[in-house]
Amino acid sequence: MQSAQSWLQKIRDLPLPDNVRLMNVCGGHERSISMAGLRKALPEQIELIPGPGCPVCICPEQDIYQAIHLALNEDVVLVSFGDMLRVPVNVSKNVIRSLEQAKAAGADVRPVASPIEAVKIAQAEPGKTVVFFAAGFETTSAPVAGMIAQGMPDNLLLLMSGRLTWPAVAMLLESEQPGFDALIAPGHVSTVMGPEEWQFVVDKHRIPAAIAGFTPDSLLAATYSALRQLIEGRPFLDNCYSEVVKPGGNRKAKALLEATLDVVDAPWRGIGVIPASGYELKPIYAEHNARLRFPDASNQARAHIGEMPAGCDCARVVLGKIKPLDCRIYGSPCTPRTPVGPCMVSDEGACRIWWASGLRKEAAETAESY
Amino acid sequence: MCLAVPMQITHIDGFNARCSAKGVQREVSLFLLQDDDIQVGDHVLIHVGYAIQKISEQDAQTAWELFDRMFSMEEADAVIG
Ligand code: SF4
Repeated sequence: MQSAQSWLQKIRDLPLPDNVRLMNVCGGHERSISMAGLRKALPEQIELIPGPGCPVCICPEQDIYQAIHLALNEDVVLVSFGDMLRVPVNVSKNVIRSLEQAKAAGADVRPVASPIEAVKIAQAEPGKTVVFFAAGFETTSAPVAGMIAQGMPDNLLLLMSGRLTWPAVAMLLESEQPGFDALIAPGHVSTVMGPEEWQFVVDKHRIPAAIAGFTPDSLLAATYSALRQLIEGRPFLDNCYSEVVKPGGNRKAKALLEATLDVVDAPWRGIGVIPASGYELKPIYAEHNARLRFPDASNQARAHIGEMPAGCDCARVVLGKIKPLDCRIYGSPCTPRTPVGPCMVSDEGACRIWWASGLRKEAAETAESY
Repeated sequence: MCLAVPMQITHIDGFNARCSAKGVQREVSLFLLQDDDIQVGDHVLIHVGYAIQKISEQDAQTAWELFDRMFSMEEADAVIG
């Protein structure tokens, strides 16, 4: 494999157009890009745009509202991936606005790092209803499918908030202004689903695409491939992470997803419903579906559809329409300590990543020149 | 949330395995790799407690170098934060 330096040189040697926009759709990619300083290292014509790559950031407000509501029920233990705990919903000041605040108010909210822990908690608390708030993209939904298929305790319910990544990219590509010229496709989503998931980008939209791993050299290899495809007018799907991403993906994981979950039209925070972009439990698991088991909470949650905190521009950040620094409240009041939007909460949120790599509003002028 | 980390399998009991990486031990499910031939000593990519793909030792090594860098950045961030 070639080093990052030699890839950079190859990119510099390309006859680059005046401006070329590459979108990534994976928080892990955005982290590597930011931490390795790739924006500064690449020629200035190249713009790297973080797109819809953070499952926490796009989890709809009504689901978070419902999770908070269920957590406040004293017979319920609410378990969730840790990142979701601090995501605020838009309610008036003295009302509980996040799972973290619900926990502080005495609710039994427990962060987990794995569906396995959710099962263990349910087994240890047979007298309680344990609700697992399962947000995440395909890479996370596949383990959830594994957990379901392996058999869940009766008292374990799921508030399923899983999403598929490609429909968001398809939505952008079908819009009048997709906002990018080439796609860096996500490595671990493709590990599970197979590289074929991204073929439509090339076949249907004639947009160059390359699947990347997470090291700077893998990301630069994909960048080089996408740029070359663009310059030569010969788009194809290049798998630059073939040591991990195999044709067909993880077939067992895909079969389990299909056996346990239905693909449904689903809302994305601040964006609206994207057709066939969400995972929901199959009807045979209705007994485990928190939405069906707590219909009142579901109805109340529905009243919060589309609500966003005032000033929060996360939806436009997620779609790559603006950069984190362009949000009026980036840095004040929105910081990782006092997040207003989910993009500043999650490790995979573009705002949080940019903040962590030192980008501040005052430095916006210099930052703009990457 | 889609970033998987490599670990080495040290023990297998049905679909459950114990894995280690850099001195950290973890219980891991092999349920998603049940159709693959997985042995003690193999390296796998772990995401939310599930192995999602078998990888070579060399690729595990490269990935770890990357994570080392990211985690030190993270700590630096906590100080600056
Ligand atoms: S700075 Fe905060 S409010 Fe603005 S887009 Fe980012 S996370 Fe949302």
